[in-house]
Amino acid sequence: MATTTNSLTLTSTDLFDDSLSISNTSTCYKAGTTIGLDQTTGLTRTYLTATTNIDIFPVVKDATNAAENGKVYIANLSEDVTEYVIVTIGDLVIGRLYAGDFMWMPWSPKAQHAQDIELSPSVATGMSVEFMAIHNFANIYPTGADS
Amino acid sequence: MATINATISVSSADLTSSPLALSNSMTMTKAGTNTGLEFTSGLVRRKLTAVTEINLIPTGLQIYGTPQASDATSPNTQGAAGKLYIKNTGSSSVDYVEIGLGDVGQPNEINDNTSKITIGHLYGGDWMLIPYHGKADVGDVLAKPSTAEPTTLEFMLFFE
Repeated sequence: MATTTNSLTLTSTDLFDDSLSISNTSTCYKAGTTIGLDQTTGLTRTYLTATTNIDIFPVVKDATNAAENGKVYIANLSEDVTEYVIVTIGDLVIGRLYAGDFMWMPWSPKAQHAQDIELSPSVATGMSVEFMAIHNFANIYPTGADS
Repeated sequence: MATINATISVSSADLTSSPLALSNSMTMTKAGTNTGLEFTSGLVRRKLTAVTEINLIPTGLQIYGTPQASDATSPNTQGAAGKLYIKNTGSSSVDYVEIGLGDVGQPNEINDNTSKITIGHLYGGDWMLIPYHGKADVGDVLAKPSTAEPTTLEFMLFFE
């Protein structure tokens, strides 16, 4: 097992009359246990030069083990505020990550949804993104993707 | 406008043979600008006591003000840079809340139909921060606890 911790702070001094300060720390565990997730895709950095959608995390086949769990991190490294990347899970749009934005979410694939995670850049002029999954899926690399 | 900062850190000394130490910060801005998001739902705390899917954040309602709904897939639409924070405040490593997106009006549960897609499970202490677009019919944020034991979620929506 491994011990992977993740933390988030959300702060603002002018969103309210009073200050906003939220802080969380948690550990990445296998589902239903206190055993740490022990696999990762590694932190990938890639330069996208087309608006074509790409599968960054393809469909996980046979994700039926009750102890399987995953976390996903994605960041848009662009410095142009007008540029964004659309993040999709299965056929549903999660949202846009604009320049400098990041996201962190759980990922619990369901076979019937073909829950691949895709990125679609807004421009073809080049955009750097980073992404990583921390997981214990038996087979994160598929026999086939849905796109 | 407001300045809202978010910082994430992910670290591990033993996930890989070399230590992992990731840190990133962002300022939440309106779509395509350097202007900060200025509205929020506030930090909402909600106790769930049944194994029933609920519409945690309905689209099309103005219960938190007037979130700019948008089509996140279409270029040049405003309001597509919202952010959503959710935390399971519990401590159980067994019980979880399933979080999904989709159309709450569809008859099936989160994980039974492609009109609603499960994102993942938040176990006790887990949190998530994702972009939010609020488009009607596909942007409902759904939650379904795995247990009828009281489970408390906190969430906060930031929007234009």
